[in-house]
Amino acid sequence: MDSPASSSSTAPGVAPAVPQSSRTETTPTLIDIQNVDFAYGDTKALHDITLQIPEKRVTAFIGPSGCGKSTLLRCLNRMNDLIDGAKVERGSIKIRDIDIYRPDVDVIELRKRVGMVFQKSNPFPKSIYENITYGLRLQGESNKARLDEVVERSLRGAALWDEVKDRLHTSGLGLSGGQQQRLCIARAIAVAPEIILMDEPCSALDPIATAKVEELIHELKEKFTIVIVTHNMQQAARCSDGTAFFYLGKLIEYAETQTIFMNPGNPQTEAYVSGRFG
Amino acid sequence: MDKLDRPPFAITKTRTRFLGLTLDECVQAFFGGNAFVAVVVLGLITFFIFREGSGFFNQNWANLELYRKAGLEFVDHLKQQEEDHTALIRYLFDLRVRTVKHYTDEEGMSLANANKRLMAFDDYSYDFGDAVEPLRGAVMDLGDWVSMVKTRALVTEDRLEEQRQLLAVGKVDEAAAIKIEEIDFGAELQPLLAFRPAYAEINAEFAAGLLRVLALPDPDLPTPELQARLAKFKVLVGGYIEEFPRIEKALLDWDYTKPVPFAKAVSSFAVGGRWLTASFWQDWYGVVPLFTGSLMVSMVALAIAVPLGVGAAIYVNQLAGEREQRFIKPCIEFISAIPSVVLGFFGIAVLGQAIRVLSQWEALSWVPGFPVAERLNALTAGVLLALIAVPTIFTLAEDALQNVPRAFKEASFALGATRLQTILRIIMPAALSGIISAVLLGFGRVIGETMVVLLCAGNRIAIPDFTTGFAAFTQPVHTMTGIIAQEMGEVVQGGIHYRSLFVVGMLLFVIALVINYLAQKIVQRYRISIG
Ligand SMILES: Nc1ncnc2c1ncn2[C@@H]1O[C@H](COP(=O)(O)OP(=O)(O)OP(=O)(O)O)[C@@H](O)[C@H]1O
Ligand SMILES: [Mg+2]
Repeated sequence: MDSPASSSSTAPGVAPAVPQSSRTETTPTLIDIQNVDFAYGDTKALHDITLQIPEKRVTAFIGPSGCGKSTLLRCLNRMNDLIDGAKVERGSIKIRDIDIYRPDVDVIELRKRVGMVFQKSNPFPKSIYENITYGLRLQGESNKARLDEVVERSLRGAALWDEVKDRLHTSGLGLSGGQQQRLCIARAIAVAPEIILMDEPCSALDPIATAKVEELIHELKEKFTIVIVTHNMQQAARCSDGTAFFYLGKLIEYAETQTIFMNPGNPQTEAYVSGRFG
Repeated sequence: MDKLDRPPFAITKTRTRFLGLTLDECVQAFFGGNAFVAVVVLGLITFFIFREGSGFFNQNWANLELYRKAGLEFVDHLKQQEEDHTALIRYLFDLRVRTVKHYTDEEGMSLANANKRLMAFDDYSYDFGDAVEPLRGAVMDLGDWVSMVKTRALVTEDRLEEQRQLLAVGKVDEAAAIKIEEIDFGAELQPLLAFRPAYAEINAEFAAGLLRVLALPDPDLPTPELQARLAKFKVLVGGYIEEFPRIEKALLDWDYTKPVPFAKAVSSFAVGGRWLTASFWQDWYGVVPLFTGSLMVSMVALAIAVPLGVGAAIYVNQLAGEREQRFIKPCIEFISAIPSVVLGFFGIAVLGQAIRVLSQWEALSWVPGFPVAERLNALTAGVLLALIAVPTIFTLAEDALQNVPRAFKEASFALGATRLQTILRIIMPAALSGIISAVLLGFGRVIGETMVVLLCAGNRIAIPDFTTGFAAFTQPVHTMTGIIAQEMGEVVQGGIHYRSLFVVGMLLFVIALVINYLAQKIVQRYRISIG
């Protein structure tokens, strides 16, 4: 079985399987979430979530503030492990049929396969070059030529190359907010994950920078499976294929994005997407 | 008639005033006043320390002037010559000890037999020792003479001072009654100047005596290594004799009327290697032994406290669970609440003894300086000071780590970094300047600490022998803070000794100032670097 969690044979930086142009409804399921309950200590944050996320598509999580979107997203690469007392109380999350909460799963390997971009851009206080090579260096890569190549490819992939190619060795903190966020995306794709989780990646950006990132998301889905949390309905409509609507820790509706926005099956969904939510 | 129906535009109000100030202004004056008092007190302290200290250099100048005028400087040339000879005798004695050890340990001889075997060697040593007799006699006679001159000069100074004070309060008759003996240094120093031709003869005789001893057949020594030591001894003696003409020349050139430059009064403090007070001969106020002592003790303390404090900070901030944090933090912070005199007491009663016992272990004999000769030494004091520095370093380093944005850590983990990788590659570099300033402030804390060093550093005022390498750290030292605490109670207010202690205080003050300034600068840079 091809297990992302236990095999480490994939060379870093090598893009996963060649993208197929068959982005139809029949795309296989990559992430399989079954009946998940999640709690921070005593407070339940997720109730009985069941959701299948298909490969090489963009899936959007929407819903009012505090409904658990980030929580679910952070379950997918086990970032919640860092929080004391937070745990999945019931159910399972499988990626390529491997339960990522199984005790023998190596979280480090998992996070190499499941990258993450945060709401607030957070480049390290290092140079642009070092920011991007950080992940690879962690894995022991030190070949200069190889690192150079990955830096260029990742920056091109994040549509940032032309803007920074002359200042690769200046601090990443010296970039503008939008550039910083794209730098973070470049940093995430440099380790060649299969899945990229994005938690409100554009919430701190102006419309132009947002447009660039959205365009980027479009290109990235050729190679990666993307899960994005957003508060911006237009954004969800523009760049996602499937959309999940959450409310108070429950999954209310999950369908093709078009269906959710044009013809929602649930009155709460309709109220939310049309902006009439109380 | 235009009578207004509108109510008046009443936005003014009458305020109660106190001394012409409104309540708000009073409150402002109160807080401002408090801040002002703090600044003024700091200013007063600084002013006081510097005023008391600044007189020192003039007094030291006079001190050195008298040293020359009364002829002590002249006699010190001879004394030095005699002391160098004594050092050579010590060399021979050391050689003897080694030889006896060889005879008893390697050849299994009894002590009596060994001593018998060394009879020829002992004769040789005695001959060498006796050669100095003519010089020694002269040094004693001249030494007694110049100390008397100096004492009389000091008495005259005291009387003059007394007279001045009486005149100041208008007691003219009593002032006139004080007998003042004018001292004519030129006349008093005649015996010294007249001694110079005789000295040439004494020297010639002395040198001849030494050479005679060297020409004797070498005493019998059992191993080539010991023989080599004897050969080295002869070379040393040769060098010693070669110095004689230079001493003669120094005495001939010596001129008691030549003024001492003021710079000497400063340099004899700043780079002087002797701190010698209340001596019968001549007082020296050289800060170097104290400064080295303070520095050595602080270095030991930091060498222990930095890894401990920073390590604990990393553990608590990055690795420990909440419950551990709640336990460890107050524990470490509590250390700083222990009165340092209690720590010092612990140092004397427990730690010093423990280090001594430990140092006698066979397994630890490779450690330089082990077994320790003195229970209380730089190492003992440094280990205790480390305890004092740990809370400072820990708390500030923990702050610095805490200030590293959590986002960095999350980003690192999300890229598949382990905890250790995250700490070493992201957190530590980001907090580095904060940690450095924590270490600096820890250094400031230990160099200013007094009680522990006073009780546990051994209080020997001498520059440790650095030729022994790290073993120097197991020698007793005295410190700048310790000397102030120890001597301030016994000095005459306004005297040179009193003022010298203030200058040491000034030095400590300046060191603290520099450290704090650097720490602040570094922290600023750090703030900028993490955005
Ligand atoms: N670290 C935490 N400890 C305890 N409770 C938390 C923690 N993080 C989130 N929660 C709670 O879990 C619930 C879901 O939070 P989550 O951050 O997933 O919401 P969200 O949908 O991402 O909201 P937003 O759109 O505002 O980001 C909220 O009620 C929140 O208060
Ligand atoms: Mg969120």
